[in-house]
Amino acid sequence: MDTLKYIIKRILQTIPLLIVVSLISFFIIRLSPVDPLAELKLNPSVSPETVRIESQRLGLDKPIIIQYGKWAKSFVMGDLGVTSTGEKVSQKLKERIPNTLLLTTIVILLTWLVGVPLGIIAAVRWKTSFDRILTVFTSIGMAIPSFFFAVLLLMFAVKTGWFPIGGLTSPNFAEMSFGGKFWDITHHLILPVFVLFTISLAGLQRQMRANMLDVLDSDYVKFARAKGLSENIVIYKHALRNAVNPMITLLGFEFAGLLSGAALTEYVFQYPGLGRLILEAVLKSDINLVMASLMMGAIMLVTGNLIADILLIITDPRIRSKS
Amino acid sequence: MTRRVFRVLLCLAVVALICKACIVRDIPIKSEQTQSVNQSNLSLNYTPPQNINIDGVDYLESQSPIGTFGGTLVNSTIGEGPKTFNPFNCKDNTSSIMAGTMYDGLVTTHPITGEPIPKLAKSFSISPDGKVYTINLRKGIKWTDGKEITADDVFFTWNNIIFAGYGDTSTRDSLYINGELPKVRKIDKYTVNFTLPQPYAPFLRMLSTAIAPKHAFAPAVQKGKKYFDSFLSTNTKPQDFVTSGAFKLKEYVPAQRVVFERNPNYYEINKKGEKLPYLDKLIYLIVGDLNNQVLKFEAKELDIISLQGSKVARYKSLEPHSDFKLYNLGPDTGTMYLSLNLNNRKDNKGKYYVEPIKQKWFSDLNFRRAIDFAIDRKNMVLNIANGIGEPLFTPESLNSIYLNKNLKPYDKNITKSKELLKKSGFYTDKKGRLFDKDGNRVEFNLYTNAGNTEREAIGVMIKQDLEDLGMKVNFKPIEFNSLVNKLVSTFDWDMVIMGLTGSPLEPNGGKNVWLSDGRLHMFNMRTEEEGKAGLLTWEKELDEMMNKGALVTKFEDRKKYYDKYQEIIYTQKPMIYIYSPISIVAVRNKFKNIYPTSLGGVIHNIEEIWTH
Repeated sequence: MDTLKYIIKRILQTIPLLIVVSLISFFIIRLSPVDPLAELKLNPSVSPETVRIESQRLGLDKPIIIQYGKWAKSFVMGDLGVTSTGEKVSQKLKERIPNTLLLTTIVILLTWLVGVPLGIIAAVRWKTSFDRILTVFTSIGMAIPSFFFAVLLLMFAVKTGWFPIGGLTSPNFAEMSFGGKFWDITHHLILPVFVLFTISLAGLQRQMRANMLDVLDSDYVKFARAKGLSENIVIYKHALRNAVNPMITLLGFEFAGLLSGAALTEYVFQYPGLGRLILEAVLKSDINLVMASLMMGAIMLVTGNLIADILLIITDPRIRSKS
Repeated sequence: MTRRVFRVLLCLAVVALICKACIVRDIPIKSEQTQSVNQSNLSLNYTPPQNINIDGVDYLESQSPIGTFGGTLVNSTIGEGPKTFNPFNCKDNTSSIMAGTMYDGLVTTHPITGEPIPKLAKSFSISPDGKVYTINLRKGIKWTDGKEITADDVFFTWNNIIFAGYGDTSTRDSLYINGELPKVRKIDKYTVNFTLPQPYAPFLRMLSTAIAPKHAFAPAVQKGKKYFDSFLSTNTKPQDFVTSGAFKLKEYVPAQRVVFERNPNYYEINKKGEKLPYLDKLIYLIVGDLNNQVLKFEAKELDIISLQGSKVARYKSLEPHSDFKLYNLGPDTGTMYLSLNLNNRKDNKGKYYVEPIKQKWFSDLNFRRAIDFAIDRKNMVLNIANGIGEPLFTPESLNSIYLNKNLKPYDKNITKSKELLKKSGFYTDKKGRLFDKDGNRVEFNLYTNAGNTEREAIGVMIKQDLEDLGMKVNFKPIEFNSLVNKLVSTFDWDMVIMGLTGSPLEPNGGKNVWLSDGRLHMFNMRTEEEGKAGLLTWEKELDEMMNKGALVTKFEDRKKYYDKYQEIIYTQKPMIYIYSPISIVAVRNKFKNIYPTSLGGVIHNIEEIWTH
């Protein structure tokens, strides 16, 4: 019951937060000197009449506060509005979200399935050559910028011809059998997944290793060992449970990154995800689209944190008793 | 200890090996290489399809060699893909290309001479007084859904869509002649005529606007303008399109590609009487940026790529042992220029847009000419465009059919510059700094849009050239939108480097730039309230040339006016033109019937292109 109350309280707290986020974002976008009609104004064949009609259509002739009010009203009603070219924002997002989710979920699953065990093993076999080699590789993974790594892999793909150059499907995708389609998507996903995997694996593995080392050094582990428990029980029952807490907070952030975390890599690989869409929207000051993506980011972050907190309540009795 | 040393050495060795693997020996750059993509491979002997009547159907007959059917051509478009497939809503280039592939217009442009030639129309004629345009349509040609294309469709398109103000209104706006729109009338099932209030030459080319199928568009038009704006958006199912072009939409995958397939009802046939197009599929890949486009071409995912200057040398050296061929299409329609702000008026608050001291310099013809002579265009072409460009001296692009060839190019001439400045009383002090006759140091701001590396490079070179004259140039690349704001609303700038894309076929398209009350009359922009205030004599002359040029219909007569307008800009130098890039395109060898032209590009005859 307390937990439920706590959750409701947290959800209510997010409302003012979201309002502030939306206000700040809206005003920053509108007050920036980016003029959504600049290109139109500089086109010799467009008449002033057209520019005026266009500015009315986008609501640019009204004061900012009224523009915000209009946007906020329709946002609350669940209408994300239309893009500057007249397409439905929700439709545009719907086209791209599944692609981005496909990429980021695969990456997150892979990194957690590989990263956490590797972190544990590295901590348990601390200062052995296995640990050292892993350290070298994860350091490389952390040091290399994702876009640079992505470009290198693209060049590798051009030279060898083993992988397609970006995208998600081949031109003849529609005519493929189910197996063919599956293989085609996998083939396209290998490189972007590899980039994101290498980079987030490094961080995750280091984090897990550090947590585990901390815990292994604590008194109760020493006590457990002294009691004569088997090494497996010491590590997996006593140490791991305590080491995993910070990871849960991290998982909350990973959730926030589901939609936006891969933007840079998506751009380099020309992946048809949200990254490219939002980058273009920002450049063109396409307010409804930018606002929708910013709000989505904010909501994902808040939800991610909430999920992490709830998970913590479940795994950690200390927090449960406090709340 | 030795183990540790050994490990460090091992790590270093791995890093060294990785580095070694990444190093590719550079191909030495030979400047002559770039020149050798000559224009000789331009196909000046191409004959466009001709009319032919078979069994009562007016086909177009391809005059090019007969090919085999099948195959796919993969092209690309940069950006985020089309925003709409409605030909009347296109506001961006990609959407226009897609709509242009799907919908044909009444006329099209001869890819070599630039004359309007019949497309959906069988023929057209203009009455001697230049006011009545009569269009004869083809008999028996069909939309993709099998219905016949008739005068009803043409009448509906012009009367109920364009003149009624549906979609993008720029075509309608440019057709207001003395506040009146042309009248369109259906004569019979295959004849339509347009009556203009007075002769207006640009009208003929506007007939290349897409024709919409009445039976598919009428319901949308009835639902009003707001509905029309989202009609045939990118979410429309491919089978719902009724089109007339050589290819019809097969599939649109957002942010990835647009796939077209051959239209079996297309009205062009080859000499054997077989229906064109030859290709089964035409695919446009949607690529986000130029780098990805190059990678895709090199990985053979693309068949055609337009090359930037810096890439040409490498491609030229690759060409002999590759499966593509380079075509030089000649100077393209882009024009890069340096403009001065001649504005000498005050804003509402009584403050001058341009400081009075600067106004004196900029309004001085000697000063403007001195700047012109100081600019080293050839050097810019060599260093910025990698030799893939042509110095430019006129507002019409070099491939324009109206280009005034009497306006001769000249080289940088710094002595002449100095003489001109001296004539106007400018002098330099011992340190070589330039002052005007009242003792003011010559110093001004030069703007361009940040992020455009080409213009930034031009800015740096112009700054150097002008500093040779003792001027102090503060070169400030600023954000594109802020720059546009300065140019069209606040007018607080001194000099700017910009580029505009003109039409090589229709100088009237630039009227917003040249007319003294035009919306883009940057070098002496007037607010709407100011109207035609402070008209300079040559501006008045310019107005006259632009207006008259639009009202006569014969090419020779129009050319006279447009020659004069170019001459005025050439002598008065409100805008100093710098260079035009040359466009170089690489196309895979496997495609036949490729006739690239300067005006038409590479795939102007897409229906005739075939492959093994």
